[in-house]
Amino acid sequence: MTAVEELEQTPVRHGLLRYAATKVGGALLSIAMVIVATFFLFRLLPGDPVRALAQGRNMTPEQLDLERARLGLDKSIPEQFLHFVGRTLRFDLGVSYEYKRPVLDLIGERIGATLLLTGTALVIAVSFGLWQGARAGWKPGSRFDKVSTAISLVLWSVPTFWLGLLLLMVFAAGIGPIPGIFPTRGSSSVDKPDGLAGVLDVAQHMVLPCLTLVAVVYAQYLLVMRSSVIDEVGQDYVTTARAKGLRDDDIRRKHAVPNALLPTVTLVFMRIGFVVGGAVTVEAIFSWPGLGQLFYEAIRVPDFTLMQGTFLLITVSVILMNTLADVVYHVLDPRVRSA
Amino acid sequence: MRKLLAVLAALCLLAAVPGTAMAADPAPKKVIKIGVTQSVDSMNPFLAVRLVTGSIQRMIYGFLTVPDSKTLQPSPDLAESWTTSPDGLTWTFKIRQAKWSDGQPITADDAAWTFNKMMTDDGAKTGNGPAVENFQSVTANGQELTIKLKAPQASMLDNPVPIMPKHVWEKVKDISKYEAEVYPTVGSGPYVAVEHKKDQFVRLEANPDYWRGRPKIDELQIIFYDNPAASIVGLKKGDIDLIGRLNPPDFESLKGDDNIVQWNTQGRRATYLQINHGATTSDDKPIGDGHPALKDPKVRTALHYAIDKQKLVDEVQGGLAKPADGSIIPPLYKDFFWEAGGAEKVTFDLAKANKILDDAGYKKGPDGVRTMPDGSRKLQFRFSIHTDTPIEDKLAEYLTGWYKEIGITLTTKRLDSSKFTEETGTTALFDIAISGWSVNPDPEEVLGTHLCSRRPGADGKGGGTESFYCDPSYESLYLEQQKELDRGKRAETIKKMEERLYTDAPVIALYYPNDLEGYRKDRIASITPIPEDKGLLYGGSGYWPFYTLEAVSKDGASVDEGGSNGGVIAGVAGGVVVLALAGFFVLRRRSSSAADERE
Repeated sequence: MTAVEELEQTPVRHGLLRYAATKVGGALLSIAMVIVATFFLFRLLPGDPVRALAQGRNMTPEQLDLERARLGLDKSIPEQFLHFVGRTLRFDLGVSYEYKRPVLDLIGERIGATLLLTGTALVIAVSFGLWQGARAGWKPGSRFDKVSTAISLVLWSVPTFWLGLLLLMVFAAGIGPIPGIFPTRGSSSVDKPDGLAGVLDVAQHMVLPCLTLVAVVYAQYLLVMRSSVIDEVGQDYVTTARAKGLRDDDIRRKHAVPNALLPTVTLVFMRIGFVVGGAVTVEAIFSWPGLGQLFYEAIRVPDFTLMQGTFLLITVSVILMNTLADVVYHVLDPRVRSA
Repeated sequence: MRKLLAVLAALCLLAAVPGTAMAADPAPKKVIKIGVTQSVDSMNPFLAVRLVTGSIQRMIYGFLTVPDSKTLQPSPDLAESWTTSPDGLTWTFKIRQAKWSDGQPITADDAAWTFNKMMTDDGAKTGNGPAVENFQSVTANGQELTIKLKAPQASMLDNPVPIMPKHVWEKVKDISKYEAEVYPTVGSGPYVAVEHKKDQFVRLEANPDYWRGRPKIDELQIIFYDNPAASIVGLKKGDIDLIGRLNPPDFESLKGDDNIVQWNTQGRRATYLQINHGATTSDDKPIGDGHPALKDPKVRTALHYAIDKQKLVDEVQGGLAKPADGSIIPPLYKDFFWEAGGAEKVTFDLAKANKILDDAGYKKGPDGVRTMPDGSRKLQFRFSIHTDTPIEDKLAEYLTGWYKEIGITLTTKRLDSSKFTEETGTTALFDIAISGWSVNPDPEEVLGTHLCSRRPGADGKGGGTESFYCDPSYESLYLEQQKELDRGKRAETIKKMEERLYTDAPVIALYYPNDLEGYRKDRIASITPIPEDKGLLYGGSGYWPFYTLEAVSKDGASVDEGGSNGGVIAGVAGGVVVLALAGFFVLRRRSSSAADERE
């Protein structure tokens, strides 16, 4: 590396740091706003949580007061707010009304199952979607393009709940000649074996929920990749590569696709943020013991602290991943730096 | 890409295999799997409030008494016998000589500790607090437990508190934060909990030392489904053996399956209309925005005459209910059920409803809608129901039709459940609302929901009323039944309370929904409902159904294995197909790249 080159690189590094700092500052500000909004947003929800807890049970007024005091709802709103902010900054998400346990513990118990399911689904959806998108975009209008784009769009438009139930009825229950080889619920069998068999047991439970998640989302990767590759097809460097006599597949894989990947980076990072939130619907259909299910239960009660906790976790992870995407993009695409 | 495909294919193939591993389990345990659509909130009985948790507590802990399997009357459980002082204030229970599942003897001290904990520690009141509210003191002497009450209480023998082993639980520092996830649990019921996977299942094993004798099966699994539709699929497939608390459509979908018994008996629930007859707070100040016409008992009676309950049962509940000619206690509870007869009985009669309203001065306007006698307001009522409940939507349609015939406009107002609870239970922003309650063998709880003291306080908070009712004669009857220790006499008083609710109509009972369940007869050989005559399986009182449960032996098990083998074969076949497809892709790519090279 010559001295001239070094000189040229320094401002770029410096610029990246400053850029990253700005983005992180922005993210922190967003998080602060989310914390404030969370508190008031959930207070706007209708219904007295204590009364809801007592629904269908005979509780005396004294006992209701006791519950109210236990949940800290007997204090004034400003007091509750200060308490909430102080607690949150200490990473204490409070105690769930319904489960009577720290929200952080409840989240900790379920986040593994959610990450496993949505993480796997994300990896499959991204690789499958990008692969199909790249091939479809390389020869737009071809049969492969028409068929794969059409299928992905149909699946994209199908309601998750409907598709999940359909898969459940066909592949878990079995219809006609199709045997029901997959379980109807949960993330593992009650008599889950140890070791490798245990891993396989979980894998078997994961097939249908994972398939549902992949089917309804992979279209977005396919479409973004497809249009991005179409842009690249007409570029001069592709023509040059062809003129050099490179194989068509090599041009696509080694030249066009890497360039076309850029716009998908933001998309993928956005989705990583949502991975934490899980998939409420899919978890509900397949009784998957994850965060989505917890959030759904929290809304039904309503369990303020639990809702606040899960909501904060989901929003913060989305914000963080967004920030990361901005920074990574900055590194990957020099054009953003000058902007 | 090739690698990825290969890995995917391998995963698919492997994922189908575990069936073999499970089918090859050498010990043929008798296992019954119960599906539930509610997850366990806490394994700590001092904190748990959900129905599913209550059912599990019944299976792993003893109580003072348990409803008799035939009559539903209180019968001995951990309390062998009991006596009451003449003033009804002192109850003495003789605790059975039996053992906890860890071998320690059960004494009255365990019961005394349990009750005293709840009386002195606010953190232990969450689960069953009201049950000890009337307790003055609880003391133990050997096997003798003495409970002194503040006021006489006939429902003492329906005490819902599980008796906990003192030697295990006294070590817990803060009950309100204790998860009780220690297995096996130490209990005194027919089963011992051995495993709990949150939001997934609870595994119970037969308690070999249970004082009534060991259950006939080895293991009972309570398996959680988040989605009722999936649980039906699970039952049909055999992933679970029994599921209770079905709604009519799910119940109907079990029809035609030879292996499934459709269990359709009388239920423990009553469905009724709650009428805002001038809601007030507990200091008698008006609250809410109820229509003034509903304060008039004549209007409420007319509303009652304009309901065709049989039609509702047939059309709304698919025939799976019993029209209500009584009040809030369903006929399942024979001793306490009251049914209207003679002139008092209200039957569907639109002409009579119209006449009552005409006579009371509610004149019909040119548009056919009646107005108040002083002409101030039209008889336009809101009907509050829950969102996303097709059954309630249908009910609203029928009511609207009939009420139109008597010159009353009914508009449907759909609310999500917490808003609904608030408007119909605290702020009284309703005219007519759908309501209902699941009744226990001792009906004191449901009767209590119509007391003056249950109305919300002046600050608009608290309460627990199901009707905003406050009626002197109802109040005095309530106090009377509370003191009456003679079951027959007490039942007479309770029936008078039901009669009062029927004629004064702060609530109008519509029907008693049936108990709808389904179980697999290729797995469950026999199960005794509670009560034994046409009773409930899951969700009934006590532990009888799951204590008496008998599994289909050997033969059934071999059929089961054949089933999973079929699954495995199919799984392997599926895997092979996936592998073949992957191979095809790879080969095709090879040949296409070869073609590229030639160009």
